[in-house]
Amino acid sequence: MSALEIKHLFGLRGVSKHDIRLILDNAKQFREILERPVKKVPSLRGMTVVNLFFENSTRTRTSFELAEKRLSADTVNFTSSNSSVKKGETLVDTLRNIEAMKIDIVVVRHKGTGVPKFLADNSNAIIVNAGDGAHEHPTQALLDMLTIEEKLGTLEGKNVTIVGDIRHSRVARSNLWGMTTMGAHVTLCGPSTLVPRNTELMDKVTWEPDVKKAVKNADAIIALRLQKERMDDALLPSMREYRNTFGITHELLENVSDKVLIMHPGPINRGVELDSEIADGDNSVILNQVTNGVAVRMAVLYLLAGGRANE
Amino acid sequence: MNKLILKNVRPFVNGKFEEPTTMNLVDGKWVGEAVSDAKEFDAKGALAIPALFGLGLDFKEPLRDDIYTFRDGVDAMRRGGFFGGLYESIANPIDDSLKLTAVQQLAAKSGMKFAFMGAFSMGYQCKDLSEMVELAESGAVGFGDGNQNCARTRFLRLAMEYGSMTGKRFFFMPLDDSLRHHGLVHEGSYADTLGMKGIPRIAETIAAFKILEMARFLKVPVHFKQVSCGETLTLIENARKNGVDVTCDVDIFHLLIDDSCLFDLDSHFNVAMPFRAASDREALWKGLESGVVDAISVNHDPVLRQDKEVNFEDAVPGAVSLEVALPAIWKPLCERLSAARAVELLSTAPAQLAGVAPMSLSVGGQASLVLLDPDSSVKVNPSMFAGQVRNCPLLGKEIPSKILGSYLGGLWTEV
Repeated sequence: MSALEIKHLFGLRGVSKHDIRLILDNAKQFREILERPVKKVPSLRGMTVVNLFFENSTRTRTSFELAEKRLSADTVNFTSSNSSVKKGETLVDTLRNIEAMKIDIVVVRHKGTGVPKFLADNSNAIIVNAGDGAHEHPTQALLDMLTIEEKLGTLEGKNVTIVGDIRHSRVARSNLWGMTTMGAHVTLCGPSTLVPRNTELMDKVTWEPDVKKAVKNADAIIALRLQKERMDDALLPSMREYRNTFGITHELLENVSDKVLIMHPGPINRGVELDSEIADGDNSVILNQVTNGVAVRMAVLYLLAGGRANE
Repeated sequence: MNKLILKNVRPFVNGKFEEPTTMNLVDGKWVGEAVSDAKEFDAKGALAIPALFGLGLDFKEPLRDDIYTFRDGVDAMRRGGFFGGLYESIANPIDDSLKLTAVQQLAAKSGMKFAFMGAFSMGYQCKDLSEMVELAESGAVGFGDGNQNCARTRFLRLAMEYGSMTGKRFFFMPLDDSLRHHGLVHEGSYADTLGMKGIPRIAETIAAFKILEMARFLKVPVHFKQVSCGETLTLIENARKNGVDVTCDVDIFHLLIDDSCLFDLDSHFNVAMPFRAASDREALWKGLESGVVDAISVNHDPVLRQDKEVNFEDAVPGAVSLEVALPAIWKPLCERLSAARAVELLSTAPAQLAGVAPMSLSVGGQASLVLLDPDSSVKVNPSMFAGQVRNCPLLGKEIPSKILGSYLGGLWTEV
């Protein structure tokens, strides 16, 4: 087995094409395993994975948990609602206590940017980022990439447009790094209050404020979930205006290739960022993304654990 | 008698460093005649710089003596070569004369020259005025509400109007809270790449402009602490042309660090005024060169280890600086400015802003000094810091110079 250059998965910024290729190729093999009647492999037997979720999450945590179980790992869920963090324990003490129970891998989700790196700096466990603030959500981007490759054969030269709240999106950030590394042309589009103002370090992507132009040549469109809090914070006037201006609607797609893939990281606000007929239409690969999520997470855990075993 | 002989030392006298000589020091005074039975120290050609004056000291005592004490702070001053400082506690607003007296008593034992800032509002709440006249009569050298920004503009007007009776300067760290909006770092390409909430430059300039207009209208002298971008310096320059009495300082770390540090995601870079872009850092240097910036501040703000050993966004902002300020900044300063200007920015001007007689070295005069080997680099390590804190953004980094010792108020400390 070829080894990953990375020891942890904090994000996709700076991750090499070699590593992303290796993860995607392994994920494809795990994807096949998931189609078999017996979906379990013994790769992580004897290893313990802790899912350390400080933010609410159902689908990402479930997806990780399934991936861990399919790999035969022992899994423990540790959420902030039942954790000692509520009692004032520091993050690093929480981690050290968990680590003292001889765990091998920590999958972490936290509202703070850089928490996965902080945990890696303070422990010996393998750390996998399941979302840190608005920074990165690398496994979501990897599953997006796997889905596009599965449907279109390659990412190289493909046009991927991400529409929505780019400024607050860890999914968009991970995708822009990962997809550009793999040779895709990424276009980002959103309302002016929901895109970053300072994009000098994100110069490999195209920033297009006009959604019609942004999607025109797209091979895949990723609609991002719009958080209701954005209205409370006066970043947008209403869901209605957002839908009419940036929503992925039948009308918007009239001049777009009829083979365009429609993607969404979920959960969907139907009728806001994505109309129901589009979400449920023939071009939608949203449920493929969910299935691929398990495969990608299996690949990430398998490869990172393998790297540690080879040290 | 307390006697010290410094051999092979280059004292800063009349605006320049002299050739290596011997300094005979007796009870805090540089005496011309030879002394006997004295401790000797071979400085090996090191510079004897007039001791520094620190703008922005917060030693936390009495309310947060679990974090840091006056004793720790004075220890840090001796390690870093500071003979005094302008004290303004973020943790303990000095908003009445009893609190001022209490902290003056703590300081009196130290042998250092402290000046104290009074709060203009009770508890920094911008709701009730403090008794500024009594505070001034008790020794407050100026007024400021820590790093808080007064969102209630009418209250600010009344505070400055009332405080004008004292003739004291008002000190502000200009940041508009509404524009800050929970931001912790500079709103720039690094924050946007990391998805971190940023503080735009206009949060500073809009707050500064409001205060400058108030100062012009009320004819009250003001000071801006920790200016972090060139646009604010332009506002200050223009206001001066219009007759506003405005002074300003820049923080030492803002001259050395820019927002590219954010990629390290190290909570030691979480400070009250964010590190801005490299272009801002350059603008601050230009402000030092042009003279728009009056002084360099240190903003020594101890934070407990457990409050820094967390992820960036959950860390308590603040940095300690006294121990490393001079060796970190001396060489960069001297590469762009004269040694005389460097001494002015670190020692003379800060003391004058605080109404304290500045330190100078001359035979026959009082002498507090810091011995610096400008060319011996040192790696900043936890043992360099006083007390139990180590929240320094330069921790683990190489700094270009090394302090050999300090002679403050007649007491020699070898570092």
